[in-house]
Amino acid sequence: MDFGFTKEEEEFRQEVRGFCQKEVTPELIEDYEREAGYTPRIWEFLRKLGARGWLAPQWPKEYGGLESDYMKKFIIEQEVTRAIGVRQAVRNVGNGMAGPIILRYGTEEQKKRFLPPIAKGEVEYCLGYTEPQAGSDLAALELRAAEALVGKGEVLAEEKGGYFIMNGQKMFNTAAHYAQFHWLGARTDWENPKKHRGISLFVVDLKSPGITIRPMKTMSDLMTNEVFYDDVKLPKANMIGEMNRGFYYIMEAVDLERVTPSGALEHIFGEMLKYVKETEINAKPLSKDPWVRQRLAQLQIEISSARLLDWRIAWMIHNNTVPNYQSAMSKAYSTELVQRIYNTWVDIMGLFGQLQPGSKWAPLGGRIEREHRRSVIETIYRGTSEIMRVIIAARGLELPRE
Amino acid sequence: MDLALSEMQEMLKTTARDFLEKECPKSYVREMEVDEKGYKPELWEKIAGLGWLGLHFPEEYGGSDGSFLDLTVLLEEMGRACFPGPFFSTVVLSGLLVLDAANKQQKSDLLPKISSGELILALALTEPSNTYEPSGITLRAIPEGDGFVLDGTKLFVSDAHIADYIITVARTKEAATKEDGISLFLVDAKSPGLEATLLKTIGGDKQCEVIFDKVKVGRDNIIGELDGGWPVIKRALERAAIGKCAEMVGGGQQVMEMVVAYAKERQQFGRPIGSFQAIQFHCTNMLTDVDISRYLTYEAAWKLSEGLPHKIELAIAKAGVGDCYHRVVVTGHQVISGVGYIEDHDMHLYFNRAKAAELLFGSADFYREKLAQELGL
Repeated sequence: MDFGFTKEEEEFRQEVRGFCQKEVTPELIEDYEREAGYTPRIWEFLRKLGARGWLAPQWPKEYGGLESDYMKKFIIEQEVTRAIGVRQAVRNVGNGMAGPIILRYGTEEQKKRFLPPIAKGEVEYCLGYTEPQAGSDLAALELRAAEALVGKGEVLAEEKGGYFIMNGQKMFNTAAHYAQFHWLGARTDWENPKKHRGISLFVVDLKSPGITIRPMKTMSDLMTNEVFYDDVKLPKANMIGEMNRGFYYIMEAVDLERVTPSGALEHIFGEMLKYVKETEINAKPLSKDPWVRQRLAQLQIEISSARLLDWRIAWMIHNNTVPNYQSAMSKAYSTELVQRIYNTWVDIMGLFGQLQPGSKWAPLGGRIEREHRRSVIETIYRGTSEIMRVIIAARGLELPRE
Repeated sequence: MDLALSEMQEMLKTTARDFLEKECPKSYVREMEVDEKGYKPELWEKIAGLGWLGLHFPEEYGGSDGSFLDLTVLLEEMGRACFPGPFFSTVVLSGLLVLDAANKQQKSDLLPKISSGELILALALTEPSNTYEPSGITLRAIPEGDGFVLDGTKLFVSDAHIADYIITVARTKEAATKEDGISLFLVDAKSPGLEATLLKTIGGDKQCEVIFDKVKVGRDNIIGELDGGWPVIKRALERAAIGKCAEMVGGGQQVMEMVVAYAKERQQFGRPIGSFQAIQFHCTNMLTDVDISRYLTYEAAWKLSEGLPHKIELAIAKAGVGDCYHRVVVTGHQVISGVGYIEDHDMHLYFNRAKAAELLFGSADFYREKLAQELGL
């Protein structure tokens, strides 16, 4: 056993840490925390990461990677999220979800076209899976991609090659208002009663004619969107992998996607420690209050637990083992923990915990009140805690379905 | 980063599991709960033969030079089997304390005989003061002639009734700080004035009240420095806390496996109860607690084993694992329901031991406070 890093890994960790000390400014953190979208500062930061190959370090060099092992990627994610305090600061839809599937199932032409901009931090993708009737039951999605082939007398017959005509509605597509591309799951077979066998994956330019993006305002600053497809024509060359295999590609990728870097939790907890030491009630620092001490110690225990579940996944992937129930466990645990952290913090603030950003008297600019509201979504998006437990029960414990 | 056991450790684990399944079935565990000694000497000889008693002692003392991490692996399997007997007292508490702090003569006298199974030791630390803090040590050792006279009461001393020697933690000096003035004595358990009486405990283990009524002990029997015994005890408590965590991991794993097997088998409403999501969620929560417990324990054990700073990891482990094990046994009872409440079922053996393990060597609340101190709060 070894719960540490090798000398080389440790040196690399210091290098990333040094980079973060220089590049991560309070303004950048503020932009990330608001989660309203990528600001110019965030784009600039991503391009700096990309220039070092740190957005997709395991990818081949020709696509903008470093051909490194997984531990390097893990260290980058840990350190950057520790510096920023936001878990999706490095891993986004482009390099975390779309990219890996394109790398695995895309054609050479698609890889050359789509991967380098992701690795360089020039583009972001918007996840386009969820629909009004297809949430946890992803296989129920209905957005249609109808094939319009040359010579079949379809509207687009005069075009070279084949096209798809896309119609339907997506919702909760969070990055649609700032991403360049839609990473879209659409139905290509509506005859097959086995719904999961009729879904394909596409890369769609979000500026395509026929796409309408409508914002959905959330209970926090987080912005999300509905995306409507109205006779959008899409070249066949934008379909990734085999037709009707999309659901399988998605399922295969989610075990890798559900890695939630625990570095951010350490960042948040560090700020919390500072807050309780510096804030006085009754002329006594909060940190001297026995129940505050107990609750913070409990959070530290849980953060260490989340870190070790996260490490286990990194260790497995590093050793070429695909995590199975372990990713679902880590996702459920760490997201439930995020909610407990902010709930505890607001409680500790007492009456001040109610004050919102912009309020006079708001501690830490009201950030904690905002994060507390934002954290509601943690246990819902990217697979609800209940779906995670169903996965753990089936795969980790082999409990019967019926 | 390598979160797997070594090949040797895997072998040790498998050997231990096979041996304990054969030699320590639950019928033996139940028998020992009501047995006055609490162990069978034949089985003690067998584990000496397997090298378990000297696993973490150097070869010169009849040991096999294994690491603390190796011992952790063994303790996990012992926890899984609810292995009764004085292993923890003799090896984890006392033997490693001797190795850590005793002089060469004492080590040569004691360790080879512990390794060979000839000696049983107990550590008399806690008192009616009910604390693991140094302020709790009030049993007095007063100099007399070329030795000391021990007077006072020790409580919750595991296996004192069968021990050959009792390492006794006594106050030799009243000082401004409570850490100062504490000394350790190797006391012959047959000394006049020493009386060990069994307590009836939830874990069915053999904890004793030990009364010291003017018990004489020679100056040569001091372990470590006169008045400077507290740091030795602190280190012994660290090993004991991690060792207890390992037992809890093994116990939790066994409970989880037992419960999941039951959920797959037990039919209600015409289907296995394990197909109901309410039961599935209970089971997944148990698996999460067990997995977390294992990594918290092994991270602390690895750090201690490697001689790295481990105070934070230790406090996290003892508090975290204790809470996890508690949830695992409570949830397990809920899934197994009525059947598990019947004495014939094994669930209560784990439920009872879980509470004992949570309390021994510092509760979760105690370690959360320690952790708060380590975090600079």
